[in-house]
Amino acid sequence: MKKTTIMIALLAAAMVLLAGQALVVQVLRSNLMAKPDFLSSSLAPLQKGARLERIGSEGGWYLVRSAAGVKGYVHQSAVTESKVTLGSIAPGPKGASQDELALAAKGFDEANEKKLRGSKGYNFSDLEWVMEQGAAVPAVAQFIRDGRLK
Amino acid sequence: MKRLIPVILLGALLVSWKPVNLGNVTKVKKGAKLVAGAAHKINEEEEYHIGRAVAANILGQYSLWRNAELTRYLNLVGRTLALRSGRPEVYGGYHFAVLDTPEVNAFSAPGGIILLTRGIVAMAADEDELAAVLAHEVQHVVAKDPLKAIRLQRLKALGTFTAGEAVGSAGGALGVFQDSVMDISGTLLQKGYSRSQEKDADLGALKLLAACGYDPKALLDMLKKVRAAEGKKKLKAFSAHPSAARRIDYVGENVAPADPANRQARDARFEKQAASR
Repeated sequence: MKKTTIMIALLAAAMVLLAGQALVVQVLRSNLMAKPDFLSSSLAPLQKGARLERIGSEGGWYLVRSAAGVKGYVHQSAVTESKVTLGSIAPGPKGASQDELALAAKGFDEANEKKLRGSKGYNFSDLEWVMEQGAAVPAVAQFIRDGRLK
Repeated sequence: MKRLIPVILLGALLVSWKPVNLGNVTKVKKGAKLVAGAAHKINEEEEYHIGRAVAANILGQYSLWRNAELTRYLNLVGRTLALRSGRPEVYGGYHFAVLDTPEVNAFSAPGGIILLTRGIVAMAADEDELAAVLAHEVQHVVAKDPLKAIRLQRLKALGTFTAGEAVGSAGGALGVFQDSVMDISGTLLQKGYSRSQEKDADLGALKLLAACGYDPKALLDMLKKVRAAEGKKKLKAFSAHPSAARRIDYVGENVAPADPANRQARDARFEKQAASR
């Protein structure tokens, strides 16, 4: 009985340890890539807040599994370590995390950015045009190949 | 089985517990006045919003050149560089555009909004020279140099607000936000980065150009043009400090030779795009 108890406890602990290696997408949009390279094919789009299970790392990339069970690579600059796992297990007061408090207090947020709209010296209309311009990764990949770049 | 539950939970808790978070839990318990300790840490989303405001401020002082074809080309070159940089993914993605002014200058707002003047775009004789300017600016974003222009007193001020003030009225926080935008804009438009920041951006640009397959010597070529134009009114911060001569010295010492034939492979598309301006 004792052996069974210990084994179950260790198994549960190991499962939680694996679950603790959770990552969260911290950019608005990213991609789950087939290889640790932006020029490889995209397996699935990733949105801000998507949770990923980290199962390995290679260079500047993490090998991850998405919530849908798709295995692929995401660049380290696109994700941050999830802080939800501990909060959901450990006892403690509910409410804002330290980072959330810091974010709210700093006010470097959309609400304050909106308050600047219409202020003298700011041109958000032209900014929106700039933000609409860009180049999707497949187009960049073609551009790289055409220009003998890498 | 009931007796097993506490054992399982205890095991799970022991394995998952990270000592560093003990302090955080205690601090959160204490409440609102604890933001000061974390105030200096600006996350990706915050950097994005302050970057948008800085870019809007620059666009309030310069006209935007709405040349869709040139802007798309600039974004392709810029994204090529960003993907091989130390920070390929930023919150809202990298965006590149051109300001309609003959001044010779380039600005990198926090979060990856990079604005080049029409003057510096015209100075580039080929794609690699254009890439050299962009690589230098991307390196500033990678190093978060624009954020470092925010004066320490702003961040200290943030720590004096309680969470109630910040979440509620946000009046104080808005003031700090605006002041921080002005700190960054002032550095980009007038004061300039420090010599060490510029040197790091130049040396980082050389590596980035090589990593992408561009000719790093293109940066040296651009700096020589900047030196030749120094003293003219329209030349501004791209050569502010250190001087172009000094930059030529250390870039020249660190530049690696590249195959000129490879550089010419991009001439056709550069010339096609240049003809449309």
